[in-house]
Amino acid sequence: MGKDFFTLFKKDCRMLASGKFFLMAIGFLILYTAYVNLGYIRFMHMEPYNVYLYDPAGTQTEKSSLVQTVSSMEDMDAALLSDANGVGIYAGDGDVQVVLYAGAERIDRHRADYALSLLRPWTSRTPEVLGTNTPEQKARKDITCELLFFELTAVGFLGIAAVLFKEKGMGVIRVHAILPLRKSKFLLSKLAVFLLSDLVFGVLLTLLNVGLADGAAILPAVLLQTAILSLLMALAGLLFALLLKDFRQFTLAYLVIAIFAATPVFLSANTSIKLDWIGYQPFYHVYMGLKNAYFGSANSPVYYAVSVTAIALLFLAVQLAFYREIRKEG
Amino acid sequence: MIEVKNLTFSYSKDKQALHGLDFTVKDGEIFGFLGPNGSGKSTTQKILTGLLRGHGGKVSLFGQDISVAQGPEFFQKIGVLFEFPYLYASLSAVDNLNYFASFYPREQRRDVGELLDMLEFKRDFLKKPVSSYSKGMRQRVSMARALVSSPRLLFLDEPTSGLDPSGAVLFRKIIEQERKKGTTVFVTTHNMVDADLLCDRVAFIVGGNLVALDTPKRLKEKNSNHGVVIDYLYQGRRERKTIEATELASGVPFACDEMISIHSQEPTLEDMFIQYTGRGLS
Repeated sequence: MGKDFFTLFKKDCRMLASGKFFLMAIGFLILYTAYVNLGYIRFMHMEPYNVYLYDPAGTQTEKSSLVQTVSSMEDMDAALLSDANGVGIYAGDGDVQVVLYAGAERIDRHRADYALSLLRPWTSRTPEVLGTNTPEQKARKDITCELLFFELTAVGFLGIAAVLFKEKGMGVIRVHAILPLRKSKFLLSKLAVFLLSDLVFGVLLTLLNVGLADGAAILPAVLLQTAILSLLMALAGLLFALLLKDFRQFTLAYLVIAIFAATPVFLSANTSIKLDWIGYQPFYHVYMGLKNAYFGSANSPVYYAVSVTAIALLFLAVQLAFYREIRKEG
Repeated sequence: MIEVKNLTFSYSKDKQALHGLDFTVKDGEIFGFLGPNGSGKSTTQKILTGLLRGHGGKVSLFGQDISVAQGPEFFQKIGVLFEFPYLYASLSAVDNLNYFASFYPREQRRDVGELLDMLEFKRDFLKKPVSSYSKGMRQRVSMARALVSSPRLLFLDEPTSGLDPSGAVLFRKIIEQERKKGTTVFVTTHNMVDADLLCDRVAFIVGGNLVALDTPKRLKEKNSNHGVVIDYLYQGRRERKTIEATELASGVPFACDEMISIHSQEPTLEDMFIQYTGRGLS
């Protein structure tokens, strides 16, 4: 087992290196880390909306320092014109009136409530905070989880398929069919390379973006979920690459996986949008498994049982497709 | 070495590819398997190399039933040259050969450098990636891959495809050398020159049926009309006569001033193929 497997493993690593896969993974790691630390977290610290107050009579004496006072209605109009998400308050005759560019009805109400709350900041109550994460830590875990999920579903899936299409194109799969080795090793070595690469990626992404102490604490659980998702996606990538004729056909499958499978998961898990059918979407459960790992919640034994079964079934399907490929003409 | 009895195979219920083939290949023999496209050549070779399962009848290699003898030990004993040179395009000839050789026991492996020298591979290209090679060079590396494990049984699919005439001569010489070492060779080809010059026996397969099996010489003799065509000069005029070869035993049986040429009318292997199968090889 050992020597053959190591030879195949080395060859697969070499192919990935020559295909610039590792370089691409490092590039994505730098890009994601820069996005989290230089963009996303800063954005999370920003105030939700700018509030502009025109108060010619000076009636609003208790307003928050976040309120920006303007000297005329024309100035307020100009401010709102350049900042369409901003909220204006006109306090001309003692009564306050909210002025804003309309967006979505529910969000407009939230904007108005927020702006009015800044006029009486002392009435705001500090809510009870659940969990031990600071808002920044929560934001870091949320976005790291999303980026890791995206990397594994979209980028890793594409990588393994690209390698296999290359080998299919060169015809070397058929040469392996007549070599004295167990054919499953050809598939297992590829899975091992991608699994290892995804685990390293998961470790680095988590430690760089969640932090060393917090990251190390959640790492075992995150790596377990990474392994599940990595194996599922690598097997799906292998299956599509074996069944489909060329990379052009594969791009359609890629669209289905990357867009139609991943997008509803992000929407349902991270926004208030509720999709009734999302419980039937397998990626949703995998995503929630990863998210639970980041937030220290346990996943159910049923989830693990289904994941292991899915991996085993996919591996069998990949083996069948592989044997079909090596029997082809040529 | 190879024993095939009543071999049948179907890809689906209504698509039977092989209809009961019977043949044997002896140790150290070069056996040619000839047939047009879609005749069942590749299917037979895939069954013999253990790639295709679910056949009917009995197939034995190295004295063992192929249905049970398909572990790594079986693949250690065979070498296969595919019709197309399947190699890693980003690796060099040496790296490709070292990679494929590494799956075989060390004592079985041949020296990669010596093999490439024997195949007259250009030394300048040893370290260059296969993607920069011509088809002939790729074919040489593929042949080296098939030979690198010192196989006891060699399957060659169109071995001289993509080679120039001198390359084809070299390949035939190497195949003959392998046979002298005791290797059994199973050649699948369209090339009648290769079959005629190389093979001890040839089998013609058409539509999944074996229609003839014999030595190339006997196949041609059986169907020869034993005539000879003689071109000669007589009284200043060029003449041509066709006579029975036996008539030459007691000299030229007609008056002539000068003999220009004598050609036997023995048919070619291709003529025989067309006669047996009613089809050309394309």
